[in-house]
Amino acid sequence: MGKPTGFLEYTRKDNVDVPVSERILSFNEFHLPLSAEERRKQAARCMNCGVPFCQSAMKLSGMVTGCPLHNLIPEWNDQIYREHDAHALSRLLKTSNFPEFTGRVCPALCEKACMCGEYDDPVTVHDNELFLIETAFEKGYIKPRIPKVRSGKRVAVVGSGPSGLAAADTLNQRGHSVTVFERDDRIGGLLMYGIPNMKLDKKVVDRRRKLMEEEGVVFRTGVNVGTDITAEELKKEFDAVIIATGAKNPRPLTGKVTGMQPASPDKPVNPIDINGVYYAVDFLKATTHALLTQDGRSVEDFLSTDGYISAQGKDVVVVGGGDTGNDCIGTVIRHGCRSVTALEMMPEPPEQRLPSNPWPEWPKVKKTDYGHEEAIYKFGHDPRVYETTVKEFITNKKGELKKIRTVKVKFENRRMIEVPGTEQELSCQLLLIAAGFIGCEPATADAFGIPLGKRGTIETEADHYRTPVERVFTAGDCHRGQSLVVWAITEGRACAREVDEYLMGYTTLKEC
Amino acid sequence: MASGRFGVTSAYLNSAAEIQIKMAQGAKPGEGGNLPGRKVYPWVAAIRYSTPGVSLISPPPHHDIYSIEDLAQLIYDLKNANRNARISVKLVSEAGVGTIASGVAKAGAQVILISGYDGGTGAAPYSSVHHAGLPWELGVSEAHQSLIENGLRGRVCIETDGKLMSGRDVVIACLLGAEEFGFATAPLVCMGCMMMRVCSKDTCPVGIATQNEKLRARFSGKPEYVVNFMHFIAEEVREIMASLGFRTVNEMVGRTDCLKKRDYSSGKVKAGAAAMVDLSEIINPEYAGVPENERHFVKEKVYDFHLEKTLDESKLLPAFESALKGPAEKAKGEIYLKVSSTDRAFGTILGSEITKQFGEKLPEDSFVVHAEGGGGQSFGAFIPKGLTLRLSGDANDGFGKGLSGGKLVVVPPKGSRFRASENIIIGNVALYGATSGKAYVCGRAGERFCVRNSGAVAVAEGCGDHGLEYMTGGRAVILGPTGKNFAAGMSGGIAYVLDEDHSLYRRMNKDMDSLEEVTEKYDIADLREILRDYVKETDSELGRKILDHFEEYLPSFKKIVPRDYQKMLIAISKYEEQGIPHDSAVLEAFREVTA
Repeated sequence: MGKPTGFLEYTRKDNVDVPVSERILSFNEFHLPLSAEERRKQAARCMNCGVPFCQSAMKLSGMVTGCPLHNLIPEWNDQIYREHDAHALSRLLKTSNFPEFTGRVCPALCEKACMCGEYDDPVTVHDNELFLIETAFEKGYIKPRIPKVRSGKRVAVVGSGPSGLAAADTLNQRGHSVTVFERDDRIGGLLMYGIPNMKLDKKVVDRRRKLMEEEGVVFRTGVNVGTDITAEELKKEFDAVIIATGAKNPRPLTGKVTGMQPASPDKPVNPIDINGVYYAVDFLKATTHALLTQDGRSVEDFLSTDGYISAQGKDVVVVGGGDTGNDCIGTVIRHGCRSVTALEMMPEPPEQRLPSNPWPEWPKVKKTDYGHEEAIYKFGHDPRVYETTVKEFITNKKGELKKIRTVKVKFENRRMIEVPGTEQELSCQLLLIAAGFIGCEPATADAFGIPLGKRGTIETEADHYRTPVERVFTAGDCHRGQSLVVWAITEGRACAREVDEYLMGYTTLKEC
Repeated sequence: MASGRFGVTSAYLNSAAEIQIKMAQGAKPGEGGNLPGRKVYPWVAAIRYSTPGVSLISPPPHHDIYSIEDLAQLIYDLKNANRNARISVKLVSEAGVGTIASGVAKAGAQVILISGYDGGTGAAPYSSVHHAGLPWELGVSEAHQSLIENGLRGRVCIETDGKLMSGRDVVIACLLGAEEFGFATAPLVCMGCMMMRVCSKDTCPVGIATQNEKLRARFSGKPEYVVNFMHFIAEEVREIMASLGFRTVNEMVGRTDCLKKRDYSSGKVKAGAAAMVDLSEIINPEYAGVPENERHFVKEKVYDFHLEKTLDESKLLPAFESALKGPAEKAKGEIYLKVSSTDRAFGTILGSEITKQFGEKLPEDSFVVHAEGGGGQSFGAFIPKGLTLRLSGDANDGFGKGLSGGKLVVVPPKGSRFRASENIIIGNVALYGATSGKAYVCGRAGERFCVRNSGAVAVAEGCGDHGLEYMTGGRAVILGPTGKNFAAGMSGGIAYVLDEDHSLYRRMNKDMDSLEEVTEKYDIADLREILRDYVKETDSELGRKILDHFEEYLPSFKKIVPRDYQKMLIAISKYEEQGIPHDSAVLEAFREVTA
């Protein structure tokens, strides 16, 4: 700990946000970094706990608390305070492949477990991490680290999301030759097309791609494994294959559809077939895809493009109260929607921790994120409606969504029941489903002949990454189920270690 | 009672039901301690008899214990200092602890604590936390077996600590041979400790190991939490006992036949190095088979110190019986008697009775004991204010140990023809851990004179090596040559040394203290006052000569004062001169010095 009394002298200062009125006019990132001087004070708040929960990743009441990567947080906080940025960086990179991603999008499990947070505000670990990596890029501390010796082993990684990238990076640094396959036109998976540009500027993903390419990783985009290249070819060409295709199978929405005619009388219309109902990720992807055809990031630039699903002038309903739902709200506001409502089945969480949810458990509290703030600014009220779900979709004859009917729900014995007489009609021309995912899209697993488990994921022995198929491994959401970027990176690293052991008969990589 | 003896007074000892001699700590065996100056707040300093803002050093060893016999002597001293208290000795788990435990049992301790390396790590250096010590399991089983072999097991309770966390730990400790169990880490955690390991920094964020008011306000612990924890421990112990078929803890002590090594052959659990450990000596069933009353503490077998044979119980207490009962005004008495070197801890029981009856209320010289002969070990240990022991003869080691306000005078026998100032009259480690009182030694003292003195005024006419080590308060006047390493680690108090050949600087340890001439008006008056009193009490030839030619001798006197201590004194007087009352001045000075 740089300064034993730091936590008593300085108060927490977050990175400052660009004012809402300004930031909704563009898709740029809107967190402004603190000055280096301020940042060092923030780092001085770290207490260098004897038992650092921040890096523990221990399970409490079924939730993980602390960083799954076991980032050496107290160590680099101390080094930041002492202005030893290069040393701090080396400690950070020891456990983390891509701090520039987690420094932007991680919900910071570390901060929720921070000892400082028990009586006060936690240390700005997340912002400190971002400061370190961005300073490093700026000052040129980050240089391509090209492995001096190559093992001669070849590894294919299917999927270029955070977990695939982490596995690729780790294995490449170990000396194996890695090729990453991506079916989209750009690498990154959800980093590229799931997370909106305001949260994670796509230049950051490209910067990492460029660096990894210089270090020897080969990226093959626009290649769909299973169709463009068969599983057999891949297994023949490579000594090991890692499937890291994510958990992209969205949870569908059910409900009665009225107005449009079903294709056949005995098969009712699936709500997703309605013109105006989309899965959140498809919507977000189309927006980012269109945005990237332009150099500019302003709303004006964006609106001049096409090929995206527009929310302009529409009444939007977002179903699902998670991070993706929030991203949808932020995005439709930039599109220029007429109104936005977010439906959440669960009751409104408390503002403060309940006694049953003490530190350092994950706080089950209400979080007003950037999208909600922007909606409140624009429309004067919180867009979130709790304990409510969609009961009926009402379309015109052409199958365009016009209205929805909602109903209040409550939970009894863990089962959701509708509250009679609480139906309401809501004007809605665009409905985005952000209700989570139910496992991976089976195509890749099928191609390799791997059956999916009950949770729709590729199952392995606990804490292992080997699939039943020889030389095929798996990592990330397609293995774990939908989760955080930091878990994806952790899985990628751990999987890389197992692959290394498989290829070499031993491994020098550290356990995650 | 640790090596620093901070605040160990007669009153303190007499308030105890059990007195524990801490020989070492499990997490940092063989190391001393350091309380940084910024944590020595005025109220901390008050109970530790030291100076606010000045770092305190606990020496690694007890300076009065260099052998098992010395330890036996200290156990005896403490038994005299409080006859009602059990004496416990805290040892740490190490190879050979069984032999030490046997020695301690023979010496009369009633409890032997075997401490493991896992607990108490709050302020221990990381190097020790990670690399020093052994688990309590090894120490408990060795001590238990060794005591059985020597037929001593019934004399003592074996206690253990070192991160006991569950009922299962308690049961294992018991089966290995322990019958008392200490908890610290777990109850602290119950009260909110987060194991920050910053106990030394005064920044404990949960308000436990700190004096900072802002942080203390965060403390959220309640006694009930600890009570609950202990209930759970007890419940778990009871459950396991029931499953093993034991009705009492005594039945269970040392039943290693109920323990077995984990079987790794199934391959379900990764064995690693654990599979290679040979536990056969630890769970040796031979020791489980001895009769039950030879396996645990038996009240009837407690060591008898035969205190009724001491001069204190046989002569002093009867002589002062009525004065000791009466009101303070009538508490007066005088007695003449002969002593010999077998009369150990002379005056200590009388001192203890005075403390119990009168506290610190009695005026000086209320009870005066005139002794003649060779004083034994620990002559006048822990005697309180109001008691004066005058010895005509000489005294052994441990003279005035833990002096708590009483007065000790030792002079050569009348008619002796040697020169007092050139001969040693008291043994080693005199006045170790003295907290207040006076000691006038008409002759030279042995080695380690006044170590850890924190308030007594002492005069001698020379001393051996390591004089005044770790002293934190009081005054020492040495009217002759000193040994080497003088004033090492001295962080408080003042010493005046007559340094006629000006060679003290070569023998002094200058790490923490400065050596200066006695020029201040206040210092001169102070020195002269002490000398006057000294001559009045001892009729010292050298003392009288110096007093008679004080101005001539003065330039040969050296004042030794610790630098941090002086800084603090100056700061306090600065605030006092501004008219601030003493207590507030001390607090202000503390804030200034530690800022």
